Amino acid sequence: MEMFTQQMINALIIGSFYALIALGYSMVYGIIKLLNFAHGDLYMVGAFVGFAVLSLFGGGTGLLGVVVAFFAALLFGGLLGIGIERVAYRPLLSSPRLTILITAVGVSLVLENGVMKSFGPSFKVYPVQLPTEGFQIFGATLTYAQILIILLSVLLMTALHLFVTRSLYGKAMRAISIDHAATSLMGIPVTRIISLTFFIGSSLAAASGMMAGMYYGQISFMMGFIVGLKAFTAAVIGGIGSIPGAMLGGLVLGLLESFGTVWLGSEWKDVFAFSILILILVLKPTGLLGENVTERM
Amino acid sequence: MSQILELRDVDAFYGQVHALRGVSLRVEEGEIAALLGSNGAGKSTTLKTISGLVRAKGGSIRFLGEEITRLDPHRIVELGIVHVPEGRRVFGALTVLENLELGGFTKRKDPAFTKRTLERVMHLFPRLNERAKQRAGTLSGGEQQMLAMGRALMSDPKLLMLDEPSMGLAPIIVKEIFKIVRQINAEGIPVLLVEQNAKAALKLAHQGYVLETGQITLQNRADLLSQDEKIVKAYLAN
Ligand SMILES: Nc1ncnc2c1ncn2[C@@H]1O[C@H](COP(=O)(O)OP(=O)(O)O)[C@@H](O)[C@H]1O
Ligand SMILES: [Mg+2]
Repeated sequence: MEMFTQQMINALIIGSFYALIALGYSMVYGIIKLLNFAHGDLYMVGAFVGFAVLSLFGGGTGLLGVVVAFFAALLFGGLLGIGIERVAYRPLLSSPRLTILITAVGVSLVLENGVMKSFGPSFKVYPVQLPTEGFQIFGATLTYAQILIILLSVLLMTALHLFVTRSLYGKAMRAISIDHAATSLMGIPVTRIISLTFFIGSSLAAASGMMAGMYYGQISFMMGFIVGLKAFTAAVIGGIGSIPGAMLGGLVLGLLESFGTVWLGSEWKDVFAFSILILILVLKPTGLLGENVTERM
Repeated sequence: MSQILELRDVDAFYGQVHALRGVSLRVEEGEIAALLGSNGAGKSTTLKTISGLVRAKGGSIRFLGEEITRLDPHRIVELGIVHVPEGRRVFGALTVLENLELGGFTKRKDPAFTKRTLERVMHLFPRLNERAKQRAGTLSGGEQQMLAMGRALMSDPKLLMLDEPSMGLAPIIVKEIFKIVRQINAEGIPVLLVEQNAKAALKLAHQGYVLETGQITLQNRADLLSQDEKIVKAYLAN
């Protein structure tokens, strides 16, 4: 029981990180049909922005410093996402899919090496560690920091869900993912809404990176690589292009990974995650919540 | 009568394909202009060039006295030209109501207008009202055409361009659609109507143009065109 509860908590945390990144993968795929392989690196950049801001505050960072660092990561990540789309992807939107996919891999290398050059190749210890106070629940320990991470993730995802389903701009995003030209005939500035999508997706990944940095205590310029692939897996499990799917996929992957680790050993963790990816692709390529998109006449 | 829209010597290309060769036409205040021609003549390209989906390579397009030749599509909608494309292109996964809301995007700062216009559209197309919460993809072809037209009205158009609204619809539905086009026009909105169904279009229109392989080959008052021997032979005989 105790172990079950501890793994459950673990799964919720990892699942939240995956889900927050998977959302951006899914939104960008939905709107311009690009698998943005640089997306995981925004998680890494978010962690480093948080690191830089917190270091600036010095050792005695209070809650205020953490909040400032969080919003700095969010904002910087979002703006970087806009910049990447503008510079690297927009000129290629009408080129073959493969061209832009390769460009995404290039962007990923630029981000990783850029951060390595600026911060060095070794692991960095986060200036602020999360407090370990908490309480016992079914024999397991649940810290206040863990609760905060989960709540914050749920809050961000709920806000995004409401934005996409209720606001006019959210509806415009969904319209673009169906038909760019028809959307522009509604008087909707399609390129500006694509920018907005990149901003939102990238800032969520960066926020997740900042939280992960504090949670795990150390960061590196390569931390976005495997997490990015996992988030991609989560997006596919849920149904790529679907926002609720990305959230569900993140959670499912978190659960599978946590319990898979216990049953099979942690050295099998990644094998496990990517086998699931292959299984889903073979058995239900549209994912759990994805729809069979019927082609227009 | 004052001019709403004027095309002068407009050229357009798809890669090497020279789709429009010096097209000139005008739409006057309050009138319906019909653009006729067989498949592949360049009718849809003409509308796409006006709405900015295809960039004109030469010539000029003026709307209400303003040069719009190089504007982006969304700017052209803001000025008041709304293009209902061939095949309707409604957003199938969104509801009927969401489709209409998106049609009103340019009026988003004026909720009172949007509310009023939504009521007007629902009144004009009662079937959309019944199906407001339904996904647009579940509508019949005729209903989708109504949705596409209703969506266009949401942005308060000063010129409505319809590309083959009758395509693929049963004759009784076509009649209904054309009746509504007449009604919209009677409320003061000029219409540029593209049709293969020349007979019906000329009955509705004030002015007619015939397009052949990217060139305007005939233009006249619609009632005179429908008596023109060449037209009767090429498009009206069956
Ligand atoms: N996207 C496109 N790419 C290349 N050629 C096109 C494209 N769309 C139309 N064309 C060509 O341009 C010409 C005019 O097409 P179109 O305007 O669609 O004709 P219409 O609407 O009168 O049937 C045709 O020869 C057609 O094959
Ligand atoms: Mg056509």
